[in-house]
Amino acid sequence: MNTMTLNGKNISFNPGDTILDVAQENGVEIPTLCYLQAADHKGVCRVCVVEVDGADRLLPACATPAADGMVVETHSELVVQTRKMMLELLLADGDHNCLFCESNGDCKLQELVYEYGIKDAPRTATYEPRPIDDATPMIFRDFNKCVLCGRCVAACNDVQCNDAIPFPYGRREEKPLPTGWLPLADYDHCVHCGECIQACPVGAIIEKKAIGQARSWEMEKVRSTCPYCGVGCQLWLHVKDDRIIKVTGVEDGSPNKGRLCVKGRFGYDFIYSEERLKTPLIRENGGFREASWDEALDLVANKFKEIIATHGPDAIGGVSCSRSINEDSYNMQKFFREVLGTNNIDNCART
Amino acid sequence: MTSQTFSTWGRWVVGHEQVPQDKLPSEFAKNQPLKAFMGWDGLFVHDTTVNLVDMARAYMKLAREESCGQCFPCRLGTEDMSAILDGICAGKGTAAELDRLESLARLVSQTARCDIGQTAPRPLLDLLQYRREDFLKIIKNKAPIPTGHYIAKVTAPCTNACPSHVNIPDYVEKIRIGRWDQALSSIRNDCPLPGVIGRVCVRPCEFNCRRQHVDSGIAIRALKRFAADTELASGDEPCLHSGPTKDKKVAIIGAGPAGLACAYYLGLRGYASTIFEVMNEPGGMTAVGIPDYRLPRDILRHEANQVKKLGCEIRYGVNVGVDITLKDLKLQGYGAIFVGVGAPEASKMRCEGEDAGYKGFMTGVEFLRRIADGEQSVEGKKFLAIGGGNVAMDCVRSALRLGYTDVNLIYRRTRAEMPADPVEITEAEEEGVKFHFLVAPLKIIAEEGKVTGLECHRMELGEPDASGRRRPVVVEGSNFIIECDFIVPAIGQVCVVDCVLPPGEVEISKWKTLPTDEITRRTNQPSIFGGGDCVTGPATLIAALAAGKNAARFIDQFLSSGTSTPEDCDYMERLISKLGVFNSKEKMPYKDSKTKLHPPMMEPEIRIKSFDEAEGKINAASATKEASRCLRCYRIAMAAV
Repeated sequence: MNTMTLNGKNISFNPGDTILDVAQENGVEIPTLCYLQAADHKGVCRVCVVEVDGADRLLPACATPAADGMVVETHSELVVQTRKMMLELLLADGDHNCLFCESNGDCKLQELVYEYGIKDAPRTATYEPRPIDDATPMIFRDFNKCVLCGRCVAACNDVQCNDAIPFPYGRREEKPLPTGWLPLADYDHCVHCGECIQACPVGAIIEKKAIGQARSWEMEKVRSTCPYCGVGCQLWLHVKDDRIIKVTGVEDGSPNKGRLCVKGRFGYDFIYSEERLKTPLIRENGGFREASWDEALDLVANKFKEIIATHGPDAIGGVSCSRSINEDSYNMQKFFREVLGTNNIDNCART
Repeated sequence: MTSQTFSTWGRWVVGHEQVPQDKLPSEFAKNQPLKAFMGWDGLFVHDTTVNLVDMARAYMKLAREESCGQCFPCRLGTEDMSAILDGICAGKGTAAELDRLESLARLVSQTARCDIGQTAPRPLLDLLQYRREDFLKIIKNKAPIPTGHYIAKVTAPCTNACPSHVNIPDYVEKIRIGRWDQALSSIRNDCPLPGVIGRVCVRPCEFNCRRQHVDSGIAIRALKRFAADTELASGDEPCLHSGPTKDKKVAIIGAGPAGLACAYYLGLRGYASTIFEVMNEPGGMTAVGIPDYRLPRDILRHEANQVKKLGCEIRYGVNVGVDITLKDLKLQGYGAIFVGVGAPEASKMRCEGEDAGYKGFMTGVEFLRRIADGEQSVEGKKFLAIGGGNVAMDCVRSALRLGYTDVNLIYRRTRAEMPADPVEITEAEEEGVKFHFLVAPLKIIAEEGKVTGLECHRMELGEPDASGRRRPVVVEGSNFIIECDFIVPAIGQVCVVDCVLPPGEVEISKWKTLPTDEITRRTNQPSIFGGGDCVTGPATLIAALAAGKNAARFIDQFLSSGTSTPEDCDYMERLISKLGVFNSKEKMPYKDSKTKLHPPMMEPEIRIKSFDEAEGKINAASATKEASRCLRCYRIAMAAV
């Protein structure tokens, strides 16, 4: 029998579940900061520690397997006091001024500090300012805001497998702060996918283009599908005044489960281009004139009919664009084979 | 005075019992008393002149430096505690800070991810509980206190159990994060033959792995092999840098593991060395005593070659004592000599007929050596080996591979007392070796000079002997004969140091071993050192490597300063071992159900058909997964002397 007691309630669990899994399934919220499920990254922040009967220390809910007969308290006085102290230490280590921070209102640390009623952040050790990385056009890194949770490292190495943020491992003596020990990016390997931005629970890694554009609460989240390749990644467009401020991946949406590539995340500027075509154009007298969809489609249909009548259907060929979704490409080939009567149909299979 | 000395040692680790102060070591080195000690299980104080607050400051400073920074409480908490203690010792502390110090210490030890954070605040918590007045006095005086000098060492249960003290948590972690080359250089700091040891080590580390209290221990040996194999497969040469070239050279007798390790670490220190080896192959017993299915010879040759690249010349076919003497070596300008001649001769069984020269009788050592030399002949069908150690296992398993169809092993005690590696025993069983326990040899039966059988008697277990194992006693009148075609005794090996070193010049024990200082490996002659089986009697490969490594350090010391005396780190290691780092009774606060990584093995019926390596490689994904199970049980020890 796999049963345990969670905050005084007797519950059953699936073997292999962690305490965090069990709590989530039973609607008990345990705070986490470093836990990144996609990369199985856990056990770093210790904010999720819980009290387990008989244990001589507090145990991290994210990394401790549930066991039969286990008695767990997720918000005992000891646990709450411990989380408070940990958050105080975190807050004191770095420059966490929400007034200036792009992630204000969308920050795990800010949320927890508020939830646990932190009023003060005492610190005895001195704080040495850390570097700022403004080297690339897409991503801005301010390590003074970094809590060293390792989520960006796991996201880069284990989710996207780019190995562009080397694991900052080593004894402190060998790698002293402010430069050692930080998740510094290696731009020789970086593909600017921005997975690190999405993983960052605070405001240490942010979209450069979004700086100064909008506060988190001013933006509306609009779900959309990436217009680039046929994979169909799910996006959240963060929109303010009808303009896209930034794009993030939909964490629980297939097929990308939150992941995006450089184009999906950053390549949205073209929609505001003055040179974008807004209506069909018909070539006449050596130039183009704007036309309605009905007129343009009628023209094409008539031309197709003429060609087929004169030269047969094989005089027509089609190339479906890879930006189209699979269903559209399917329909196009069906149209060519069944309606026009030719097998001259291909797909460019690239963006 | 004594009323103020105290101990909390042993109160922290669950399953431990607090150790009374008089049971704790009070001597650091000869004529050097141990005044106080702080570590993972509390502290003890023998001498009240030690300023414990200053010692706590130094201890926390080290904890801060050792903290890997991955978990928040240890990274931030040790930083703050260290800063508070610095302030107190500088005369700038306040009483309120003591409460914060205590809260921080509790926070870190309660929540840190690994043992650095979990154990480092313990001595401080003990001090704050029992010696708070010491802190308050300094705070009240508002004057800086003098800074003391302490001896410190970072260890771990696995590292401490390893004779060569390989930094196991370090290389396991480097495998976890994919820095395989760095993992290998970390191994090479203390073990020059990672590919060899990664295959055949008896792995004391794994038996001292704390993960076994959670589910099952880490497959440390397999991870080491993974690191070595990865480099080998990549074709990359190891990045080995010898120190500045020294003008003195060292003669090494024997190219076994002790000799190779000594040459390797001398090379790193800039010394040229010459190894004189009687065989035509490097590796000593590792080459001719370990069959290819466990250790392919090219792995050993490859790693021996790396030793040569560090400025070591190996002269094969030279029998020191016959072809060249110690005197000659000294005349040739060798400043120091390292003796690593092993324990190459088989022990006698004291069984009738063993010296008769029967066809079909051969010692285990000789049997394995002939196979290593390529001899594949088979005498009849039924093979019988005598003994319960790893050499006996090698003999029976090799016999199967040669083509003996009925392979038997007799041992005078039971399976539980067998000194062989349990994995070897299981694998031999899988391959079809028949074990006969509580049977001892009495007389070899032969017809026309050829073995036909072995007369044995049955044994039973009596009272425990000096080794703690129950002594086997003959069951009177139980004699019986096992018919067989070939008999191989493998009941132990003996040293023959007297063949190499002339009597009188260097002290040799009555067992023909070479007595040396347990730390410096120096003999009674200041320029002659020794290590490996020839000092200890037949022991393990890793112990021989450790002896060679340590000897290299003291040979360097001798050649540069004229003496060789143990250093603080050596005494510290001894002290830590005395206190014990691994606690088999420890109870962990949680259990998991992950299983230990078992490298793929060839099926028994296939592997007995050839001497091809039986154990397969593990892939990167399983190595990473296994490495991520490591609990990183680093502990910090600090002594005031």
